Amino acid sequence: MASSTPQRMRPLSPHIQIYRPQLTSVLSIANRITGVVLSFCAVALVVWLISVAAGPKAYSTIHGFIRSWFGQILLLGCTYSFFLHLCGGIRHLAWDAVYGFELRAIYTSGWTVVVTSAALTLITWTACMRFAR
Amino acid sequence: MGKELMRSPLGRALGLGSAKHGVEQWRAERVTAIALVPLTVWFAAASVVHMNSDYATAIAWLRTPLAATLMVLLLTALFCHTALGLQVVIEDYVHSGLKVPLLVAMRFGCFALTVAGILAEMRICSGV
Amino acid sequence: MIIRSADEVPRTTLLKRFPIPRNLGVSPGSRIAKGRRWPAPVGAGRVKAFEVYRYDADSEANPRLDTFEVDLDDCGPMVLDALIWIKNKVDSTLTFRRSCREGICGSCAMNINGTNWLACTRFISDLASPATIYPLANMRIIKDLVPDLTHVFAQYSLIEPWLRTKTPEPEKERLQSPEERRTLDGYYECILCFCCTSGCPSHWWNADRFLGPAVLLQAWRWLADSRDEATGERLDNLEDPYRLYRCHTILNCTRTCPKGLNPGKAIANIKKMLIERRT
Repeated sequence: MASSTPQRMRPLSPHIQIYRPQLTSVLSIANRITGVVLSFCAVALVVWLISVAAGPKAYSTIHGFIRSWFGQILLLGCTYSFFLHLCGGIRHLAWDAVYGFELRAIYTSGWTVVVTSAALTLITWTACMRFAR
Repeated sequence: MGKELMRSPLGRALGLGSAKHGVEQWRAERVTAIALVPLTVWFAAASVVHMNSDYATAIAWLRTPLAATLMVLLLTALFCHTALGLQVVIEDYVHSGLKVPLLVAMRFGCFALTVAGILAEMRICSGV
Repeated sequence: MIIRSADEVPRTTLLKRFPIPRNLGVSPGSRIAKGRRWPAPVGAGRVKAFEVYRYDADSEANPRLDTFEVDLDDCGPMVLDALIWIKNKVDSTLTFRRSCREGICGSCAMNINGTNWLACTRFISDLASPATIYPLANMRIIKDLVPDLTHVFAQYSLIEPWLRTKTPEPEKERLQSPEERRTLDGYYECILCFCCTSGCPSHWWNADRFLGPAVLLQAWRWLADSRDEATGERLDNLEDPYRLYRCHTILNCTRTCPKGLNPGKAIANIKKMLIERRT
């Protein structure tokens, strides 16, 4: 197709800008986001371990940060991320065994993950409150 | 796509051909995930129990053979799974020349953190 | 809340679109401008507004979103009927692909109210108001609602979707038991509408190298066929971190298939076969 004017690229139709968020895609991106959050938690775990190895002074500094209101908010976020990624991960492992692919099962397991992770977070934090006393 | 203007659509889709590998990464991510289920649940439960203990109690717990073993296993499986997961994330979203350096840096970071964590645990066990 | 089959239209919408800036990462040539409004004819009873993506390659303008007010008493019940009504009665330059009008050819695949489906099998009464009609997501657009499917069809041809045998041809048919034939059910029915591929976020980010659910479903169809003798080579061709392993079981594909097929399951089967040949 010869033409004197250069052909411009055809436009790309919108995708994430207009596609409806569904349980499938939302839980999947949540699993990914919680995974990335947990990778930061893994770094924090090593920092904590090093603080224990470093002695009581370093340990109490880290412990003090964890007990601050900011640390508690972070810890709550990390707990929820952990349980969401755990439940979502188990759902993924079931899929890898080619189990639970019917649309009804996908949606049931999806909502189960949402509810279970919230419940587990709640249980863990109430248990923490009890141990705090 | 800009430098392949004259390549046929099939040629562009074929790219450089199939890499003929990828199963091992996929399998390792799942195996480490399975290992992490009990290990992380143990760590979460133990953290809740020990959350308000003082330094002496915490270090005594970490010195027990069971806690020490599980901690080392947790660190290995965790960073292996993290490295594989982050590799997939970087491959998905980064397409520029930054991809390979980022992948290498991430892998180095995960390995370094595993070593640092295991060494810290060993220091705790051998008496700080 | 629990969707039983893909043709169920969700009754409640918690989130209409992902909360990201509308033009994040969108090249200037693809940005959608505001279009014109085409009012309903005088005396129209039941009227529904349709926001339709328009693009004209002959003009220098960007794509735009036109709003058409459709007289529902004058057109058929399906979205395709509304588009044909618009083309006949309002704007004859509206361009879209269509053929069978019964959900078997796959031509009229487009994004209706945020999900990919066939226009001829989507009831207008199931849509919110205004209804939004976009072309299949993440495709180069030739005109209006017509996507350029060259690349996805090239990806389809690279999996070699034909019977590959080494055994010489028998006198009559290559034999296959009813059980073996049943393993193809749910995979041979694909009409290659590309609703699934176009709805896969992994394909949005890696369209050049990830094959996508439609192609991988067909790849499974040939892997599962007992008469095919090139299983090893097919698996070698697929075993690639990008061609197959960009699939992260997001499952938008199974959710959106207008024929009720299950590409996610097919891909899981391929991954399982790849593990099996190493175990």
